[in-house]
Amino acid sequence: MSQPAPSPFVAALLDAPLPASGIGWLDAARRENLEAFAAAGLPDTRVETWKYTALRALAQRRFAAGDAQADARDVDLSAFALPGTDGPELVFVNGAFRADLSRLRDLPAGLSLQPLSLSLRQDAEPLRFALAGRYREAGDAFARLNAALAADGVVLRVAAGARIAQPVRLLFIGAPAEADLAWHARNVVELGEGAELALVEQHASSGEQGHLGTLVGDIVLREGAKLRHAVLQDAAEGGTLVRRNSLHLAARAQAAVHVLELGGALVRHELQAELGGDGSRLDMRGVFALRGRQHVDTQLAIRHQALGTASDSVWRGVADQRARGVFRGAIVVAAGADGSDASLANKNLLLSGQAEIDTKPELEIYADEVKAAHGATVGQLDERSLFYLRSRGIPQVQARSMLTSAFCRSVFDDLPDETLREHLFAMLSRRLPA
Amino acid sequence: MLKIENLHARVEGKEILKGLSLTVNPGEVHAIMGPNGAGKSTLGNVLAGRDGYEVTAGSVSFDGVDLLALEPEERAAAGVFLAFQYPVEIPGVNNTYFLRAALNTQRKQRGEPELDSMQFLRLVREKLKVMRISDELLHRAVNEGFSGGEKKRNEIFQMAVLEPKLAILDETDSGLDIDALKQVAQGVNAQRSPQRAFLMITHYQRLLDYIEPDFVHVLADGRIVESGDKTLALKLEEQGYAWVAEHGEPAGAKA
Amino acid sequence: MTSERSDNSVIALRDNAEVAEALGRRYEAGFVTDIETTSLPPGLSEDIVRQLSALKGEPEWMTEWRLKAYRHWLTMPAPDWAKLRLDPIDYQAISYYAAPKAGPKSLDEVDPKLLETYEKLGVPLHERAKLAGVAVDAVFDSVSVGTTFRKELAEAGVIFCSMSEAIREHGDLVRQYLGSVVPAGDNYFAALNSAVFSDGSFVFVPSGVRCPMELSTYFRINAINTGQFERTLIVCEDDAYVSYLEGCTAPMRDENQLHAAVVELVALERAQIKYSTVQNWYPGDENGVGGIYNFVTKRGDCRGDDSKISWTQVETGSAITWKYPSCVLRGDRSVGEFHSVALTHHRQQADTGTKMIHIGKGTKSKIVSKGISAGRSSNSYRGLVKVEKGADGARNYTQCDSLLIGKRCGAHTFPYMEVKNPSAIVEHEATTSKISDDQMFYCRSRGIGEEDAVSMIVDGFCKQVFRELPMEFAVEAKKLLEVSLEGAVG
Repeated sequence: MSQPAPSPFVAALLDAPLPASGIGWLDAARRENLEAFAAAGLPDTRVETWKYTALRALAQRRFAAGDAQADARDVDLSAFALPGTDGPELVFVNGAFRADLSRLRDLPAGLSLQPLSLSLRQDAEPLRFALAGRYREAGDAFARLNAALAADGVVLRVAAGARIAQPVRLLFIGAPAEADLAWHARNVVELGEGAELALVEQHASSGEQGHLGTLVGDIVLREGAKLRHAVLQDAAEGGTLVRRNSLHLAARAQAAVHVLELGGALVRHELQAELGGDGSRLDMRGVFALRGRQHVDTQLAIRHQALGTASDSVWRGVADQRARGVFRGAIVVAAGADGSDASLANKNLLLSGQAEIDTKPELEIYADEVKAAHGATVGQLDERSLFYLRSRGIPQVQARSMLTSAFCRSVFDDLPDETLREHLFAMLSRRLPA
Repeated sequence: MLKIENLHARVEGKEILKGLSLTVNPGEVHAIMGPNGAGKSTLGNVLAGRDGYEVTAGSVSFDGVDLLALEPEERAAAGVFLAFQYPVEIPGVNNTYFLRAALNTQRKQRGEPELDSMQFLRLVREKLKVMRISDELLHRAVNEGFSGGEKKRNEIFQMAVLEPKLAILDETDSGLDIDALKQVAQGVNAQRSPQRAFLMITHYQRLLDYIEPDFVHVLADGRIVESGDKTLALKLEEQGYAWVAEHGEPAGAKA
Repeated sequence: MTSERSDNSVIALRDNAEVAEALGRRYEAGFVTDIETTSLPPGLSEDIVRQLSALKGEPEWMTEWRLKAYRHWLTMPAPDWAKLRLDPIDYQAISYYAAPKAGPKSLDEVDPKLLETYEKLGVPLHERAKLAGVAVDAVFDSVSVGTTFRKELAEAGVIFCSMSEAIREHGDLVRQYLGSVVPAGDNYFAALNSAVFSDGSFVFVPSGVRCPMELSTYFRINAINTGQFERTLIVCEDDAYVSYLEGCTAPMRDENQLHAAVVELVALERAQIKYSTVQNWYPGDENGVGGIYNFVTKRGDCRGDDSKISWTQVETGSAITWKYPSCVLRGDRSVGEFHSVALTHHRQQADTGTKMIHIGKGTKSKIVSKGISAGRSSNSYRGLVKVEKGADGARNYTQCDSLLIGKRCGAHTFPYMEVKNPSAIVEHEATTSKISDDQMFYCRSRGIGEEDAVSMIVDGFCKQVFRELPMEFAVEAKKLLEVSLEGAVG
């Protein structure tokens, strides 16, 4: 069989020069990942993990390789202010690190935070494990692309035992440019034994554009470390954003992840977690609220590998107008992960006859003494509650809005940071149908 | 009937019973009292043969047989009955069916003829009357959706049907209001006989107001530290368990 | 008590492995019947398809229908399923037709050895059929060997006969409905079946008739290197009702045998079809040698408003099971149900579930799936609930529970939910658990032995599904579970 011609999407990205690091193993990994991407292209819907997200339209688009003017783009940071996060932060505009906008001075003891480009120049070796990987799954196209082309990103380390009081913010801004472009960011986060950190990952846009952003993050929690990770995604209405965060938890480590997905035209969010150490625990909470023609695909993959591990995931989705929400929540309890406890719940509201929800919770159990449960629903607001509100004099539209908002908000009730919580609520309220 | 000598037992590697001795004769009612963590429930579970309760020293003989060598169902067939502190729910398994299976397995083990469903129903009706339990309970799945009181009464009802030689009541009074407690006590009293012995494990004295024990033992730190008649329970009620800690040497049961 | 943790009676149960194994009864239906058979040589070609059709005296349209399916099958790739371990099947090594040599004309002419076989299986074929009030069509290897109760059914206007006979005698009806639910090219095995199906059952219940008795088919694969490709078609016209049962067994053989059936159900206005299966094909031995590959396409079409199709299945057999009895809820307010117990032991692999496709308004579906895994087996539920745009007020409730017995088995749940209508409500709940140590200890402390306690708890776990089975089948199903689970607690 002759090789079909690469799609415009693939062809345009292959035109771009690979970032050159001068580091043998890194350049080799980048080259091989790019070759793998070129050979396989974008996955089609026959690939199980892409079943509900067709990339045909994307395959016809061309994105410029990065933004040569990224350093000069005028960005007003106050538009993305998050109350309660005035601590250390790293800002990227169209994928390029902006020292002028970042806050890296006077870092608290035990915290090391710098752009990946700088880390690679100073001491690349510790990053080898994270960056030298090859991606082999059929659904890995964007990870390959990111591994090949990401020249920058975040390297964050917390020393063993250090408890960082102020939340660290990572801000990724898409700024309008002469053409729609592709940017890539690669994050490496490591919490030492017993370390504690609150991390806010924020995606925003300083004006309408249709960029493609890819982000791959490796987050490692050593024994007993604790991470609170909040993700606020409010990318440009026309944007395409593909993110993959992989969490690795050692013994007794704990991670709590809160995700709010609001923006973007085509968004893919993969959250992979490996509970690798005995007694590790993961709590995940997420909401997507969609409208227009948005297509947001959330893929959770949780793997229980060790004794007595626990995961609890709650995800809620609202799809209005012609939007499509896709959710997959896969839990694997591997052989030997006895005594594990896994639960996952996904509830969705379908607000329009043109909208669609596809949800697929999965359980794969190979261990003993396991408690595992999942549930998923697609439906609409409870008529009795609606009637109750209306019988107390609240107009139908408002009653619907109240209930929809409550449906989403309840997911964030356990977010300990109150200012952040209130901010998420406010963002959500602006987003939901009034 | 029951002879426990120098019993040591561990749970999850932790030594809970540390040399407990006790003798129980037919017809006697013994109350085992003690503060939380003294090893009261461990004693019940060791006697019934629950997994994870490791006997490290000592012996238990029941009618001259080494009880510790028997499987749980063999102990049941031998006449040992444990009324659970937290009776287990078994969805989909009918209460009557469960009980008949239990009774017939035990009868078979003892070489007695099995009861057919008519005979069994007659027996059950008779016992229900004594326990004042409604028929309705029989048609439900084992303990499923039962209230706390219903579960405990169901335990005593099972005891009435199975007619054990030794009944161990593990915190049967816990979680019961006074009316439920009276009903349970009445069920127990109805089953007292010169052939049957009772071991009542309880934290509070109030159960003993309704079921009068012949002997009261105080269990503390894995041993019986004091034995006496029912007045001992009253003393405990007045002075609390702190008194036990100050109180002298561990004593063997004098029963 | 050698276990390290406080709550693991299942581990303690393993200590009794030898006892359990010694007790372990063997596959009870695993005998071979020694009778002469006529068969086609192994292999598959247009010629074979023509010969098969000719052997059965089929009309030209049927031969053409088969050939079209065969040509389509040639263009299809063999399916590849992630969760199944499976050697490639050599379709040229299979014989596509095997029939007892003495062609049966009526029950009285049926080879006594055959009747004996059914006796052993407990099929109420002859006198016993009358006692049980069940009309039976028995398919032995590839052909239908006799249908009981024909007269009584005929008086009610119900047609119940073998598919071969239906093609000859009721050609117009067959032509109207065959392939209308499962098209010949629907999937790889459906295409293969369409090309080479040898026999099966045909049921037609005319308007307003309530079939006066339960109908039943018993399938058995006897000959060596034979595939069984039966085809069942059940049509209920307006306001008609039928309850249909099928049971399946096969002898023990070291080779894998292929069973690729197609079942089509059509329910017109207000019609109701209840289809129950107890599947006990030979599962292979404890090392996974031999056993039936059970690749079945079953689909019901609720074509009329207010119609109802309900599938109930108890699956304990086969080395590999791949089946998803489905309902296409086309008619407004039509109802689809799926009740399933799937038990796997040793090295068995089951991948089963259902598809509920909501098209009509006010359609309802309910799915109850109970999976039990023991030994080194793998048991997956895979299901799709799809609500199309026009299915206003559609409602689905799905409950999937898995029970694990032992440490080396797998239990998986893969539900797909695709909803395009904002007035629909779709709910899925699933749990995975093991038989709790508390439950085991409770039973044992009341004097009930381990094996009895396990079957009691498993039976309770499955109760919701057994309730859906006709009485005799429920008893058989329960017994089957007990037999299949023997040694599982060891």
